[in-house]
Amino acid sequence: MTISLAIDTSTARTIVGLVDNGKVLFESFTEGATDHGRAVSELVAQALDGNPQPEQVVVGMGPGPFTGLRVGIAFARTFALARQIPVIGICSLDAIEIDQDSYTVAIDARRKEIYWAKYAGGVRIAGPAVNKPDEVTDFIIDRYPSVLKLNELSQSQNESEPFYLRRPDAVPTAERR
Amino acid sequence: MSEPLVLGIETSCDETAIGIVRGRKLLANEIASSVEEHARFGGVVPEIASRAHLEAILPSIERAVKEAKISLRDLDAIAVTAGPGLVGALLVGTASASGLAHGLGLPLYGVNHLAAHVSVDYLTHDLPTDPTIALLVSGGHSSLLQVDDITGSITKLGATIDDAAGEAFDKIARILDLGFPGGPAIDREARNGNPIAIDFPRGLTTSNDWATRPYDFSFSGLKTAVARYIEQRPTHLRADVAASFQEAVVDVLLLKAIAACRSSGIDSLVIAGGVAANSRLREVATERCAKAGIQLRIPTPGLCTDNGAMVAALGSLMVSAGRPATQGAFDADSSLPVERVSLI
Repeated sequence: MTISLAIDTSTARTIVGLVDNGKVLFESFTEGATDHGRAVSELVAQALDGNPQPEQVVVGMGPGPFTGLRVGIAFARTFALARQIPVIGICSLDAIEIDQDSYTVAIDARRKEIYWAKYAGGVRIAGPAVNKPDEVTDFIIDRYPSVLKLNELSQSQNESEPFYLRRPDAVPTAERR
Repeated sequence: MSEPLVLGIETSCDETAIGIVRGRKLLANEIASSVEEHARFGGVVPEIASRAHLEAILPSIERAVKEAKISLRDLDAIAVTAGPGLVGALLVGTASASGLAHGLGLPLYGVNHLAAHVSVDYLTHDLPTDPTIALLVSGGHSSLLQVDDITGSITKLGATIDDAAGEAFDKIARILDLGFPGGPAIDREARNGNPIAIDFPRGLTTSNDWATRPYDFSFSGLKTAVARYIEQRPTHLRADVAASFQEAVVDVLLLKAIAACRSSGIDSLVIAGGVAANSRLREVATERCAKAGIQLRIPTPGLCTDNGAMVAALGSLMVSAGRPATQGAFDADSSLPVERVSLI
């Protein structure tokens, strides 16, 4: 195992951790749906202070509100480029730890919808997807990705693109006329 | 320190742009534009722009570093546009800059997009430019600035009270079915037209305007006048409309810019921003400034539109002037006033 800098900005929280071989050296978060830019920089500075240097970056690729999500991914990618270390992308919903064998987990997708995924025996069997809450049964909400789980998943997963799951809002000029 | 080596990142609108400069020497200027993805929407769609930035930024940095024949480790500082601009687009740039700065252990300068547009002029000659009057005209901005010190003292003399000049070009191009972006399209069409065929209005040029708001601009009345003209004359000559519209914009921009030079006693004018690539604006500005004894500087067209070189140039000037880097973490500011040349 290697020392991982873990970052997730797929929720209203900015989550940063430094994990060495399953041991958490640093873990912290900042609450604030529009504070990811400032927070990721502050928390990473804290994570690096006095700790061994990361050998890889693990980052949550969403789904999650786009603007904040991109902040974490952009930071992770350029940090990794600067250090010449790998960056590994994880489905953020997979990194939410739930102490059950089979479950569905969700986060707020705004516009009265949720991002969700369903798991059985530790494996994602449906999603990630975005739906209205009444279209998804028995989901667990208001939980957050864990830095340990992000790090653990980096051994088996590498998502290269963010999970947007929605198209940009825009109407072509021709259709407006 | 010898000449500072600075990497600049610009993502305030639809260009993902990376520049690298050493002092005043331009080493790389990589631009990935999402303009084609916006064309069918008739304007920039913020979410499309932001997604494109995230896709393009890493490859753009890698290309710029290769082009400049440097290693990231050689850099002395990172500079990034902190505002004004589209907030979601800006944030991709500031987060990327922050990741690089933390990764490399370098100072980070969050700088003003408008000041950066003016500072790119420094890459094209060895002369000191400040003090100067600057006319900044693009799709998002139309401002007249007095630049006493490009790294710290800029005063806004005036700005548009409605549409930006470039926005007016886009809207008129749409009415004339010339496509998006409108600036180059109208510039081309106008070459075959008569610029004095139609006397379109010059916004905010009454004697009362000159007394109360001499350096503000307004283009919405012009837009309405053009639309009405076309509606009333189904057989109009499109090239004449394009040329006369363009003439009205160019005329009013230069009237006010030269008036600002005269009243401030500053005999230098920098014209920057995307509209500064307009061939008629360059032509008329050259004539009128020569006549008025004003030294005119317009960057090459490639450095007029949004680019990373201008951000790197301003960063380099900041380092050389001993200005402090931005302390700690910061967020993008979509409405950053031009008086704030950098975030400290």
